[in-house]
Amino acid sequence: MKIFLALLLLLASSASLYAQSGYIEVTAPGNRQLKMAVAPPRSLDVSPDSASAGIASDVIAYDMNLSGLVAAEIHTEQSADKGFPPADIDFVPWLSAGFDMLVRSEYSLKNGRLTIEFRLFDVINRKLITAKRYLGTAKDLRRVSHAFADEILLALTGEKGPFTTRIAYVSTQTGNKEIFVMDWDGHNPLPLTKNGSINLNPAFSPDGREILFTSYKRRNPDLYRRSLSNTAEVAVSRSKGLNITGSWSPDGSKIALALSKDGDAEIYTIGKDGSHPTRLTINPALDLNPAWSPDGKQLAFVSDRLGKPQIFVMNADGSGVKRLTISGSYNVNPSWSPKGDKIAYSRMTGGGFNIFVIAPDGSSDTQLTFDGSNENPSWSADGRFIAFGSKRSSGNGVYVMRADGAGQAKVSHGKGGHFQPVWSAR
Amino acid sequence: MKKTMITLLASISMFALLTAGCANKEAVKKEEAVVPPVAVEKAEPTKAVEQTQPVEETAPVQDAVVSAVAPQDTQSPVAENRFEAVYFDFDKSDLRQDSRDVLSKNADVILKSLPNAKIQIEGHTDERGSAEYNLALGEHRAKSAQKYLITLGVKAENLSVISYGEEKPAVSGSDEGAWAKNRRAEFVVVK
Repeated sequence: MKIFLALLLLLASSASLYAQSGYIEVTAPGNRQLKMAVAPPRSLDVSPDSASAGIASDVIAYDMNLSGLVAAEIHTEQSADKGFPPADIDFVPWLSAGFDMLVRSEYSLKNGRLTIEFRLFDVINRKLITAKRYLGTAKDLRRVSHAFADEILLALTGEKGPFTTRIAYVSTQTGNKEIFVMDWDGHNPLPLTKNGSINLNPAFSPDGREILFTSYKRRNPDLYRRSLSNTAEVAVSRSKGLNITGSWSPDGSKIALALSKDGDAEIYTIGKDGSHPTRLTINPALDLNPAWSPDGKQLAFVSDRLGKPQIFVMNADGSGVKRLTISGSYNVNPSWSPKGDKIAYSRMTGGGFNIFVIAPDGSSDTQLTFDGSNENPSWSADGRFIAFGSKRSSGNGVYVMRADGAGQAKVSHGKGGHFQPVWSAR
Repeated sequence: MKKTMITLLASISMFALLTAGCANKEAVKKEEAVVPPVAVEKAEPTKAVEQTQPVEETAPVQDAVVSAVAPQDTQSPVAENRFEAVYFDFDKSDLRQDSRDVLSKNADVILKSLPNAKIQIEGHTDERGSAEYNLALGEHRAKSAQKYLITLGVKAENLSVISYGEEKPAVSGSDEGAWAKNRRAEFVVVK
């Protein structure tokens, strides 16, 4: 992203004092959901461009509502308060309207240069929770608003949100399957490949700067690596047969993938340049779809060695293979949560698939989706959300939900089908 | 028994029609040009199947003429049409008896008419199952067909496989009729 952001934490002392005193209890059982007012940004310019600036409050309210932590709504300021110090704000109207929190912002947009300052207030205790100031260009408005939504989650829970991250996916917008990248909320979709062939299974590098994918552009399903910032694209693995389901190790040094050069699909690791292939599975069955544990010590994968595809877990050197999924006759698409405590996967249920999560020890197997057919789960960097591909009556495409299955929302838009979403790291 | 005889006869006559039709490239091409383009664009599964019928039925009429004009060409661009596809059961890559019969016929064509041609076997699956697993399953199907052709005497070095998984369905549709037609291995002469 061509963006030079200057992040200035204003009033750092008051923010850190707040952090020490403990986070707001937003998830305690029995508590009512806290209400957050998001006021449209106020202009500091003589001739304000309020229409485009309204994006900022829309973005923050959308992100906060998806998080499920608070119920956010856009709410125009009732008073003509000027200035930011809590002492200068009349909290009474916000309090009487039932709000617990308030997000205010002031911006200046001159010759394409954007300066915007956000503040989150605790309405009940009449104090500032956190504040940020961002500098950029006009087109950075969505991004900086997402960045402040990340800060709100940090202030409320101690962990940043994933709202500045992106989702790569397969789109048939151009008539064939190409890799696209979009903001997590579906905005700014951009084609990454334009080769007119079949392109499948994107996977981000841990630094988010490159994408692995399988392409038939040289008439074999080969694995490629592509930069997001330029058009540099290199073949990583072009073995005879399948070079599929590539997955970058968390430290970025290795790639796990399935190769069929030995006769049937087997799991290998290779260097990120394709060097040093190491075979991990030796089995006459199909082994594919490796997914790294966040510590890089284990891999979940799909194998039909017992007849039907099931999810197994092994050490990163191929030792200690254990079957993970016991229920269901067809389980695929493992995706390890960033905290390592859960593995999401898709199970064939009736005519289609549904997303499940299971603990790495096989306990707590839980179904998260029930509507239509849902595949290819991928966790957000903070483990709060899962993106997945869905076919359902309310519309096909890339969906996002919270890790407990709540708040399912379609995020991809535009022509064609959208499949195989994968969420970037921060 | 009677049923198998009928299927066998039917498949033999189908094969005769197919080879006759394809031996005559001129005739086939003319027939295709006559078909109104509108009909071709309608990609309903049932229509797609019906469309191949007229070509096969009418081709033999002109067969005599063309085989007199031009002897069989071994390196024809439409040579893949000489081969019948092989079909599989759901999530299976082992060869059914009907698949073995078709492979025997395909092996005959290769050994008699295309002994030195490079042939690629494309493995395909239906749309069910995961796209990733289907890539591996499609390859397994193509390799089953490859192994059987080799046991029938086709040179291993002339055969290659590629899997398209569920990415290239033969027909669209989400019912058993469409799925059955999509779980297949196809045979393509490559340069």
